[in-house]
Amino acid sequence: MTSVLEVEGLVKHFGGLYALGGLDLHVDEGEIVSVIGPNGAGKSTLFNVVTGLYPPDEGDIRFQGDSIVGLRPNQVTKLGIARTFQNVHLFPNMTVLENAMVGQHCRTRSGVFGAILQLPSTRREEQRIRERSKQALGFFGPRLAGYRQDQPAFVLSYANRRRLEMARALATDPKVILLDEPTAGMNPRETLELRDHIVRMRDELQLTVLVIEHDMRVVKGVSDRVVACDYGRKIAEGTYEEVANDPQVVEAYLGTKAAG
Amino acid sequence: MGTPIRRGVEAGLIGGLVLVYLAMVGMITKFDELVLIGTQVTLGLVLLALPPLGAALAAARPRVVGGRVDRLGPLEGLTAGVTAGAITGGVIAAWLVVVDRIGIDRVRSVFIAVSPALVDVLTFGRGIAGGVAILIVGGSALGALGGAWRSLRFGLRRPVAIGVGVVLLMGMLQRIVPTILDELNIERDWLYSKVTRGLTWMGATIVFVVAAATAAFWIDRRERTAAARAEPGRADTRGIARTVGLVAIVAAAIVLPHLAGSIVSEILGTVGVYVLLALGLNVVTGYGGMLHLGISAFFLIGAYASALLTGANLVTAFGLVAPRFSANLNFYVALVVVVIIGAIVGALLAAPVLRLRGDYLAIVTLAFASIAVILATSNWLQPITGGPQGLRDVTDAPLFGISFQDPQNFYYLVLFFCSIAVYISWRLAWSRTGRAWNAMREDEQVADAMGVNTSRYKLLGFAIGGAMAAVGGALFSVKVGTVQPGSFEILVSITVLAVVILGGLGSVPGVVVGALVLLGLPGLLSQLEEYRLLIYGGALVAIMILRPQGLIPNVRRSRELQEEERTQDAWQEIFAQKEQAAAEQADAATAAATLEEGS
Amino acid sequence: MAEVGGAARGRALGRLERLPIRRIVLIALSAGVLGAVVYGSYKTLTLPEGQAYSASAWRDFIVLGVAQGAVYALIALGYTLVYGILRMINFAHGEVFMAGAFASFFFADAWKQSGFMDDQPWLSVALLVVIAMAVSVMVAVLLERVAYRPLRGAPRLIPLITAIGASLFLQNTFRGLFGSQTRGYPKPTGLEGTWTILGIPMQKVQVLVLVVAVVAMVALTLFVARTTTGRSMRAAAEDAEIASLMGINVDRVIVTTFVIGGMLAGVAGVLFALTFGNISYFMGFAPGITAFTAAVLGGIGSISGAAIGGLTIGILQSVGPALLLTGVDVPSPFQLKDVVTFLILILVLLFRPGGILGTGEAEKV
Repeated sequence: MTSVLEVEGLVKHFGGLYALGGLDLHVDEGEIVSVIGPNGAGKSTLFNVVTGLYPPDEGDIRFQGDSIVGLRPNQVTKLGIARTFQNVHLFPNMTVLENAMVGQHCRTRSGVFGAILQLPSTRREEQRIRERSKQALGFFGPRLAGYRQDQPAFVLSYANRRRLEMARALATDPKVILLDEPTAGMNPRETLELRDHIVRMRDELQLTVLVIEHDMRVVKGVSDRVVACDYGRKIAEGTYEEVANDPQVVEAYLGTKAAG
Repeated sequence: MGTPIRRGVEAGLIGGLVLVYLAMVGMITKFDELVLIGTQVTLGLVLLALPPLGAALAAARPRVVGGRVDRLGPLEGLTAGVTAGAITGGVIAAWLVVVDRIGIDRVRSVFIAVSPALVDVLTFGRGIAGGVAILIVGGSALGALGGAWRSLRFGLRRPVAIGVGVVLLMGMLQRIVPTILDELNIERDWLYSKVTRGLTWMGATIVFVVAAATAAFWIDRRERTAAARAEPGRADTRGIARTVGLVAIVAAAIVLPHLAGSIVSEILGTVGVYVLLALGLNVVTGYGGMLHLGISAFFLIGAYASALLTGANLVTAFGLVAPRFSANLNFYVALVVVVIIGAIVGALLAAPVLRLRGDYLAIVTLAFASIAVILATSNWLQPITGGPQGLRDVTDAPLFGISFQDPQNFYYLVLFFCSIAVYISWRLAWSRTGRAWNAMREDEQVADAMGVNTSRYKLLGFAIGGAMAAVGGALFSVKVGTVQPGSFEILVSITVLAVVILGGLGSVPGVVVGALVLLGLPGLLSQLEEYRLLIYGGALVAIMILRPQGLIPNVRRSRELQEEERTQDAWQEIFAQKEQAAAEQADAATAAATLEEGS
Repeated sequence: MAEVGGAARGRALGRLERLPIRRIVLIALSAGVLGAVVYGSYKTLTLPEGQAYSASAWRDFIVLGVAQGAVYALIALGYTLVYGILRMINFAHGEVFMAGAFASFFFADAWKQSGFMDDQPWLSVALLVVIAMAVSVMVAVLLERVAYRPLRGAPRLIPLITAIGASLFLQNTFRGLFGSQTRGYPKPTGLEGTWTILGIPMQKVQVLVLVVAVVAMVALTLFVARTTTGRSMRAAAEDAEIASLMGINVDRVIVTTFVIGGMLAGVAGVLFALTFGNISYFMGFAPGITAFTAAVLGGIGSISGAAIGGLTIGILQSVGPALLLTGVDVPSPFQLKDVVTFLILILVLLFRPGGILGTGEAEKV
């Protein structure tokens, strides 16, 4: 089993605050890895640094063996790492379908002249973008199908916005997908449904999944491996049971409770 | 009854101040020169009537207080309206008295627009006392109308408003419509007076009745078809209607200048040049979401480049001289070069400032435009640009022996290029490129994270915008025959911005309509021309506050709200928040519990 | 679905796409600018006797630069204060400045004719400053109330477009009210001529400008540092939302900011009119942009930054064209002084968007 994504000694600080303090992490092909840890443990910063939103201060990130440090987010996405955001970021005035079609952007190439001259290749490509995007929306079954696809994204319900964000990430044809708290704000039924979706991403789409999650039922249900972080470092790693039994992890959670 | 009167007083005071402003800035006097109907109804009079009417409408409008719509009853509305109108009239009357006491000449030594002519307009030529009475009584009457307006039935209100609007528009088009009618050999003396040039009363009445009746019929029909459309299985006729409308517009665009004469063609030529500039800006600002105040620089570059490439001459003390750099290309060959130059300069301007935040980008583009004008004017570049005198003898752009310096022919040239630009804009909007711009405008960071190379699309936007504006510049140089730096000031950028904003950011038809309104109308009416910039400034502020989507909004920017899911969503959000709060409280506890459970 | 992705995915990034193009462009650009500056100055300073500027000419350039820099600094403060709290470029601030100068003109003109101005030069200038301040404050507050307040919290570009519209509107309002001609601004006879201070002959007006500007800036600094209102302003500048939760009336703080900005602009208006001797409805545009540049150069949001930026720009404008362009045979270099300003603006935004004293805020997304 080879590692698709390797993070080595990653450091990121904002002023004096260390969000990541030398984090090591590897994700193997076809794995679902959950990252857990109390608020402020640096989980979202990890995603932001991996996807090129912030440059790391130290450390290396390798994707399929090549370093991706210093690449712009769009380049990272093009290589095959897609993501969602902790607080949903859609393009609210574009339609649901168009949102997904933006995801296909980095897999297509027609440009200005093709659009102006309506070249056959452009039309074919546009057709392909459309089909592929519908396929990505179709991953969530009837939730994002039919008339909804022509509605602007801002009319969607909260759970559907989360689903659309994931569909948009799937539409970039990724190898690895990073999900930042995908079940936040969802009701129990929706959470269960989403848990199945995450597993299906691995099993049906052959994706590698890195997920930040707070809901322990989801973590338990989907993870091949769990990584626990605190203060920007890895404090435990292993199967769900191993991590859950780790005294440091228990302390990290209870400690925040005592402090809060 | 207290509230309506208070509202009336508030609105009336504001209305009065607006009226005093309009008077002192000279608009009322100037606009009084333009007779719209009969001999009495001038544009100045209309302007005089607007503040009391507007104040009354504002005073009687329903407001939202604490989440509930607070509507005034008919009588209350009337009270508020009359109060507002009377106060508006009272304020201007009081101002008139004060001015009269101080002495008009003394006031005029500072405020140059306060002239006897203004007093004459405000008093209707009946002396101060008579004027005061008329202003207050007239204000109250207009106020009553405004206050009662909302109590009228919608089916009545709308046709009347449309009728009045059409009459005023016909009055303002007094230099086009009669000429067309003459050209078509249609008797027109019943409609337009030969003496005042405005509508006759009979003509105005007929126009009003026709317009109002058509509007009433149309509203009625629309309501019925809307009801019919709700039934499933009925063919939608809107597509056909749209095609017919489009054909009609194209036909009008081709035939109209022939009928309306060369003055109209001349004006439409200018409008066309501005449509090109505005389409260029629309790509950058409307599609890409980057505020670009340097469009005038591309206008300048296009004009100078095409002039130099086609062999224009410098004006010097020793007569006409060839500039330091020049070529003698055919205009259409030069145009290709101009397009390339515009695109390259656009990309070069954007390249170093890609990472700047929007408002800084705006200032940098503004600085760029200023530099361009200063350099073109300077003695340093005088051997190339001709300095303040500019370049002369810009070549014609003959094609099959047709000269395009004739305004009628030039119109068709510019129409051709505008059509191309419209086509390009429209194609781009619905392409992969347009989608990338859209995503970037909505959320730059997220677009980047979704694989859109935002730097590239910013450059592309600036390049295409620059190329379109440069074509506008090249055509402009053909139209005028000379190139002078004064034609390319920052004000051009701001005018173009006003055109795009008025029409609606990102909306191609909006750009055309915006250019027609903001450049066509002032071109037709010299009285408006003088206050053009004032109106642009006011319009920019007013649109941003009242209707940021513009006259003809872009589809994407004004999606109909789907109430159903929206409400559901609101609930969901509350639900989610509650749950989140509960979850956060229990977060550490549950985490610990599940951990224990796992062990 | 996986197979579609698999086919499209394979392409890795080429070497070209990894190049830090932006950095290369910036380095090339800075090398070019530096080279041009060094070459231009060298050529000018080594001009043969007779063509070169004398030492006293350079001194006069610098004195003029400091004086106009002080005026720019006063206007720049208006931009900086508003930006600090609302994060918006008050594009119409140049017109606030123009309004003050214009309003005081009519009094100055009347007093010059009645002889009051020459009898009481100091009193009349003080009164003119008060009048200009009053009018500028009025315009600034109206601007905030009518044009900006309804748009609080709108996306950044919307208030900027409004501000551009308001600027055009104000300019043309003054044109409509008072006419479009440029008018000579009278100067009291007592302020003609020069004083010699520390061995440097300075025009009396320039001395006045410096003294008033320094007093105004010290007063502002004390106000912001020592008073309760000043503290509220600083709190609102940090985070308006939190400040309002802490019981600060943000609306009032914003109005206060516009009042102070207006006062300083009014002072600057009179000083500018006295220095350059004429006014017109269009006079606000160039100084407005220049002062904005000064604010950005010094670090927008910072009061001392505005002062430093203003002085720097003032001196660069008066010295720069002569120093850089005379030697390379550019005719009438002072036509290009605004080019110098704008180039500085662009360069600052490129290399140090946070300005000399700034926090690098502009780089945040």
